[in-house]
Amino acid sequence: MAARETNPNFMNGVPELLILRLLQQQEMYGYEIVQAIRSRTDAVIAVGEGVVYPVLHGLERDRALRSRRKTVNGRSRIYYSATHIGSHRLAQLSKTWTNLAGAIEKMLAAGPHAEAIK
Amino acid sequence: MPKPLNELSERLLRAGVAPRHVRRYLTELAEHLADLRAEEECARSRVEAQTAALARLGTMDDLANAMIKQRKFQSWSARAPWAILGLAPLVFLAAAYFVAGLYLWCGWKIFLPAADTPFGSRPTGPIYEFANLYFQAGKLYYFAAPILVGWGVALVAVRQRLRAVWPAVGLVLIAWMGGTAQIHASLAAVPGGLGHISMDFFALGSSYSLIHALAILSLTTLPYVIWRPHKPQPFSA
Repeated sequence: MAARETNPNFMNGVPELLILRLLQQQEMYGYEIVQAIRSRTDAVIAVGEGVVYPVLHGLERDRALRSRRKTVNGRSRIYYSATHIGSHRLAQLSKTWTNLAGAIEKMLAAGPHAEAIK
Repeated sequence: MPKPLNELSERLLRAGVAPRHVRRYLTELAEHLADLRAEEECARSRVEAQTAALARLGTMDDLANAMIKQRKFQSWSARAPWAILGLAPLVFLAAAYFVAGLYLWCGWKIFLPAADTPFGSRPTGPIYEFANLYFQAGKLYYFAAPILVGWGVALVAVRQRLRAVWPAVGLVLIAWMGGTAQIHASLAAVPGGLGHISMDFFALGSSYSLIHALAILSLTTLPYVIWRPHKPQPFSA
C-alpha cells in the first residue's frame, strides 16, 4: 500500500477539535466526517482516513460523543453526534488552539521573516 | 473482509487491543473502504480504485498505531495478565467449589438427613431415582468445574492472541487447585447437627492428587494447543 503524507506533529488534538466541531452541528458517519474535514480545510489537513475511527471511539468512550447505527439508502452505518460533554470539551480545545495559534502568529510576525508572511 | 484488514486485525489483537474494539474498528474501516472504492471507481478501473482506496484509508502502520497507542483500547488481559489469567480463574474455581459445597449440603439435608456425612455409608439405605441423579449431577459439576474454568482461560488466551506464559501459569494453577481439592463433611463438627462442609486445596499429599492434577492440565491444555493460531507472516505496510 502506498504511503500517504501526513503532518503528525502539529496534529495532536486537532482531529478531536475538528471532529467535535463538525459533530456539534449535525450527526455524521466516518466517511462523511473525513470528506467534510477535507473540503472545509481545503485538503490542508491530510491524514490517513481510517485513523479517524480511533479518535471517534476514544471520544465516545470519554462520553464526548454518542453513536447509533442507522440505515440510509439501504446501507447501515454508525452515526456519531456530540454530547454536552463533547461541547464542553470543544470549547476547551478551541480556546487552547486559538491561544496557541495566536501565540505562533505573534512569534512569526515579530521575527526576521515577518515580511515574508505579510 | 479485504486481506489488509485481516492482517490489521491480527496485529491489533497481538498488541493487546480488546477484541470488541478491534471488531468495531474493522467493521467501520471496511464500510469506509467500500465508500472510498465506490468514489474512486467513478474515475478509475476496479483494480486501480481498490489500490487508491486502500492508500486513502491509510498505511497499516498508521491504522494500527492509532489504535495501539490509546491505552483505553487495551484489554484487561493485556493490561493485567496476572489478574485475568492467574488470579481470576482461581477465584472462579473457588466460587464454583463453594456452589458445589452448598449443593452437597442441600442434598445431604434433603435426602440423607440422618447420615453423619453425605458420602460413604448410608444408614437410611440406598438412594434411588431423583436423589441419585441429584448427587451424580453434583459430582459431575464438581469434577467438571476446573476443566470448564481452564477452557475459559484457553478461550480468552486464544481470542486475544496472548503469549503462552500467562495462560500456562493459569492452567497449571487451576490444575493444581482442582487436582488437590478435597471436600470434607461432618455432622459432629458443628453443635446443633446442621452439618459442616469444608475444602482443602494445594496440598499434593497423594499420587491420586498428582494424577488428577495432570489429567486436568492435559484436558485444559489440549484445546489451547489446538485453537492457538499460527504466527502470521511478517506484516507489510
